[in-house]
Amino acid sequence: MSEVQCEQPNNSLYTFTGNLIMDNQTLPLSPNQILLRGCSLKNTEFIVGAVIFTGHETKVMMNSMNVPSKRSTLERKLDKLILTLFGTLFTMCLIGAIGSGVFIDRKYYFLGLGKSVEDQFNPNNRFLVALLTMLTLLTLYSTIIPISLYVSIEMIKFIQSTQFINKDLNMYHAETDTPALARTSNLNEELGQVEYIFSDKTGTLTRNLMEFFKCSIGGEIYGTGMTEIERGIAERRGIKVQEVQASNNPIREKGFNFDDVRLMRGAWRNEPNPDACKEFFRCLAICHTVLPEGDESPEKIKYQAASPDEAALVLAAKHFGFFFYRRTPTMIYVRESHVERMGKIQDVSYEILNVLEFNSTRKRQSVVCRYPDGRLVLYSKGADTVIYERLAGGSDALKNVTREHLEQFGSAGLRTLCLAYRDLAPDMYESWNEKFIQAKSSLRDREKKLDEVAELIEKDLILIGATAIEDKLQEGVPNCIETLSRAGIKIWVLTGDKMETAINIAYACNLLNNEMKQFIISSETDAIRAVEERGDQVEIAHFIKEEVKKQLKKCLDEAQQYFHTVSGPKLALIIDGKCLMYALDPSLRITLLTLSLNCSSVVCCRVSPLQKAQVTSLVKKGARKITLSIGDGANDVSMIQAAHIGVGISGLEGMQAVMASDFAVAQFRFLNDLLLVHGRWSYLRLCKVVMYFFYKNLTFTLTQFWFTFNTGFSGQRFYDDWFQSLYNVIFTALPVIMVGLFDKDVSSSLSKKYPELYKEGTRNMFFKWKVVAIWAFFAVYQSLVFFHFVTVSSSASQGSSGKMFGLWDVSTMAFTCVVVTVNLRLLMICNSITRWHYISVGGSILAWFLFIFIYSGIMTPHDRQENIFWVIYVLMSTPYFYITLLLVPVAALVGDFLYLGVQRWFFPYDYQIVQEIHKDEADDSGRSDLLEIGNQLTPDEARSYAISQLPREISKHTGFAFDSPGYESFFASQLGIYAPQKAWDVARRASMRSKPKTNKKN
Amino acid sequence: MTNTDRERHRERETAFYLFTQQRLPACKPVLTPAWVITIFLFTGFIFIPVGLVTLRASRSVVEIVERYDTECVPEPFRIDKVSYVQDDSIPKNCSLSLKVRKYMKAPIYIYYQLDNYYQNHRRYVKSRSDRQLLHGWKYHATSSCQPVEFNNNQPIVPCGLIAWSLFNDTFTFIRERAELKVNRKNIAWKSDRDHKFGKTVYPFNFQNGTLIGGGKLNPRIPLSDQEDLIVWMRTSALPSFRKLYGRIEEDLDADDVVVVHLMNNYNTYGFGGKKKLVLSTSSWLGGKNDFLGLACVFVGSSSVILAIVFMLLHLKSRR
Repeated sequence: MSEVQCEQPNNSLYTFTGNLIMDNQTLPLSPNQILLRGCSLKNTEFIVGAVIFTGHETKVMMNSMNVPSKRSTLERKLDKLILTLFGTLFTMCLIGAIGSGVFIDRKYYFLGLGKSVEDQFNPNNRFLVALLTMLTLLTLYSTIIPISLYVSIEMIKFIQSTQFINKDLNMYHAETDTPALARTSNLNEELGQVEYIFSDKTGTLTRNLMEFFKCSIGGEIYGTGMTEIERGIAERRGIKVQEVQASNNPIREKGFNFDDVRLMRGAWRNEPNPDACKEFFRCLAICHTVLPEGDESPEKIKYQAASPDEAALVLAAKHFGFFFYRRTPTMIYVRESHVERMGKIQDVSYEILNVLEFNSTRKRQSVVCRYPDGRLVLYSKGADTVIYERLAGGSDALKNVTREHLEQFGSAGLRTLCLAYRDLAPDMYESWNEKFIQAKSSLRDREKKLDEVAELIEKDLILIGATAIEDKLQEGVPNCIETLSRAGIKIWVLTGDKMETAINIAYACNLLNNEMKQFIISSETDAIRAVEERGDQVEIAHFIKEEVKKQLKKCLDEAQQYFHTVSGPKLALIIDGKCLMYALDPSLRITLLTLSLNCSSVVCCRVSPLQKAQVTSLVKKGARKITLSIGDGANDVSMIQAAHIGVGISGLEGMQAVMASDFAVAQFRFLNDLLLVHGRWSYLRLCKVVMYFFYKNLTFTLTQFWFTFNTGFSGQRFYDDWFQSLYNVIFTALPVIMVGLFDKDVSSSLSKKYPELYKEGTRNMFFKWKVVAIWAFFAVYQSLVFFHFVTVSSSASQGSSGKMFGLWDVSTMAFTCVVVTVNLRLLMICNSITRWHYISVGGSILAWFLFIFIYSGIMTPHDRQENIFWVIYVLMSTPYFYITLLLVPVAALVGDFLYLGVQRWFFPYDYQIVQEIHKDEADDSGRSDLLEIGNQLTPDEARSYAISQLPREISKHTGFAFDSPGYESFFASQLGIYAPQKAWDVARRASMRSKPKTNKKN
Repeated sequence: MTNTDRERHRERETAFYLFTQQRLPACKPVLTPAWVITIFLFTGFIFIPVGLVTLRASRSVVEIVERYDTECVPEPFRIDKVSYVQDDSIPKNCSLSLKVRKYMKAPIYIYYQLDNYYQNHRRYVKSRSDRQLLHGWKYHATSSCQPVEFNNNQPIVPCGLIAWSLFNDTFTFIRERAELKVNRKNIAWKSDRDHKFGKTVYPFNFQNGTLIGGGKLNPRIPLSDQEDLIVWMRTSALPSFRKLYGRIEEDLDADDVVVVHLMNNYNTYGFGGKKKLVLSTSSWLGGKNDFLGLACVFVGSSSVILAIVFMLLHLKSRR
């Protein structure tokens, strides 16, 4: 019988406190003893454990947030517009009501306002008259509220998402057979206003695939490949990129993307320094913690490594002819080719004496091994900074050349490691080994002591070279990111990975470069580490908070300095999860926000899922900007839900992210199409639809309003009931939907060619109060034209028979003018007019005439006034009808036309400029798809480009990143020590568990 | 499947493809300065001639307007015009003499014009029964006629405020002692006469109440022939309106003097309305109304002016 005492369920993945009481013994429980939900254990036959939390109480689930219901910003603004319309409606009714109260009088005897008159018109109680008239007018003017707008918008959005987004071939990923998927049709236009993108790294930006790509041995670079970023730089410089002709049969394997004949098949023997090559390969083959699995043949062997980097390195050694095939607790077996002479293959066994493990402080890993001939060598690999500190003196040329290579690799977005070795004298080794064993068996501060001992032997190293591993990006990511940033969208990378990895990927994605001023706020500083070692939680928290505060202040001051200068460098902020935790504190939040909004890119590393969501909501709520989160795994779910728009990467990993998302695409690069094409168009279209609805209902209602002034404020209808009801439903319904579906300002290829056009959406250029005011102004003008032109011109007799028109003749005339004008006005807002526009506009006008021909041609058997009977035929028998029908729409639209002409001429929108540049080009039917972003630069652009190419003070980014999810624990397990997996790995693994191949079946 | 079917199927598929890929063929109007200028010029060239023709038609109409509501009340009664007009014992006849300034070609239309008379008031407009006008007193559902629906429990035909307030001033015209013949037939729209007012419906129990609003009707003439009523019941759009009274079918020469004998029965004094008598010829377009012509000319000429302004701007600062 035993008992577990533990904390309440909470969302902190990193902490756990509890006690296990067993046999009257109390054992402390820490995160080391906890397995989080979603973990899968490997390489074990059985486990013994107890379940502590289940279901929604698990830490992983506590990190998820409630599914919010999302409404687009445009719709929320639309609500405000509708409220304004309600206000206008109320004002209009109030004016009418007051008028009616004042007007009503017994002196108008023809109104029969005798004793028994109903309350509505009883002059004895003017207040009641006003009140009742108010209600009458409310129904009369209710057309000002565009109820059908919501229906139309829903319809338009539904078709946009199901037909356009889901079926777009540009967003269809053929390899995985995955089309884009709009899971909600609410947010189409929101896609056109995104200002911040929060992206996960692994699986979203990268493929989570490490490939050995290049190396530098003895001052010589090997490897002919080119990373996407190099290609991009070259293209920008205008250098024609030639695919280097690969050797005849390059070896291609997952994890190995290296091609250089100088090193393959023993050719390295003919290189300037074959000895360095030999050491390099041996270092790769020996200094690691990889486990071989399966058949011991080069073709069938599988390497089990905690990190894909390690596997890639060992794999590289295999292809270079140093095939590591077996490991025992003390030995490593390597099948070496071409060592003594070409073609000779021999199995060599190395005795592993000590393994100096990798951790984030040491940033290096060393192995002491004994050759079969007794030679003692220490092989070491690690970050260039730590390795260079420990190099023996001399051979500066090599060091400098290698450093240059490292920088070159780093700026190309590759992950680098330095390799070095040291020959050890046996007696010196023995004395060191004693200290090592002592440290290893000490119970207190074992890790610290081990580190200290390692320092003793890891010195006077001899540099061999450097490796460069490509963290394979998803296809087209750098280009996409560049396009998006030209569109004014800022991209933040939020990742659970380590800082170095995150920075590296940021380089690879073009988010960071050496010209940027980088602010790094990290918890991995000596000062913080010193405090942490003392172990007082309260002190640690306080210290880090102070430190973060200081750092933030400093960065902000500096940033503001740069901000005031005209051509200051772009800024970037890199912050890790621990610091972020304190920076997100309410007292520091504003500083963090100000700083990060000034930065063009922000990288957050080591962040938990919840922090991702917090950062997202910080920008969403704090900056009131429209945010988009994109991610692929379960750890991104809360971030996806927190943002205005959540995008899931579909097709590869689990479905959690997709299930939580609003849109799902197969590749990161499809964001380009999703935002710049679909989002922009949806935004433009919906703005037009909304404004047009606003205009047409306002115009229509205002003619009615002007009429009210001429009827003694009695609430008499100007239009027949049927006209009023069918106005929105039939006579003006369809064309606006065509605009919502088909309107295109510029073609999709031009939208992507000029990403700057997107900024019109983020600035909300087409749905500002100014735009509303302009539409309202013209609606008032037009309604005045309709009412007065038609009534004034009908005050004399019409036609040669001398007969006069009545109320219904005039109102039918006015309604005809309204329908024709409003439909023609629609054509004026169109940027592209398809056949369907003509059909719908023509059809709407035709529908009105058909309706009125039939409606006024028949008498209904019901008890109603036959006001409209024969009216249209009477009207059409007079020349007045035709002249008015010609004059009134033109007079009404001349104002709009003048405005449009002047606006385009003198205050053009960006899209209008692009339209005019490309107005002679055919539409994007095939040919223009081939339009590339050309190298035609204007003189201005060329000059600014030349300036940007001038050398600057370069921060020396060398690209060290050795990411090892669970690396330390894996390594430790080799030594028989149990160490827990890190929480962020757990969260990631949880998202990957649907991947079948990770589930190894015993 | 025949070939044409297959063809059609493929076409439909292509059309759908173009639809989903948003590549429907479209014309892309770009409102460049050249287009703006062209369209303005075009508008000008259409509207100026139309306007001038319209204006000419309107100007060719000769119109005589004479207000008579005050003059036709004898001097002693002008303090209290309402009691004058309501007092049946006082004779209401009155004479006006109109001078014809220009030659007026027959037919000359006679209108009466009322101002500040809200024929479009909601209570007024709805106070009629189109069923009853067509089918007579047998039709009972006449609640819309309130408050002029029944009198002494007998239905009123025609019911409602509109009919009740029928205009009842009468005019006779004398030129050089000879009475001008006034044709009072065919003054209402044919559709009203034929379809809205019954041929077998006779006025019944009309103006028999205590309050008498306006004119009385001859109970022996069917409604479809009571053209005064039909004209009156086509309610006007604005509170100031003209209604056709009849036609003089003789030409009037310039400097002719026409004496009008009228019965000033209708009460507009209570609410400050005006009464006018209008004699007007007619053009192909209708009566005298310069508005349409002027508006066309204005739109046309301002278009041309704008076109010129834009052209100058275009020449001065080419984009």
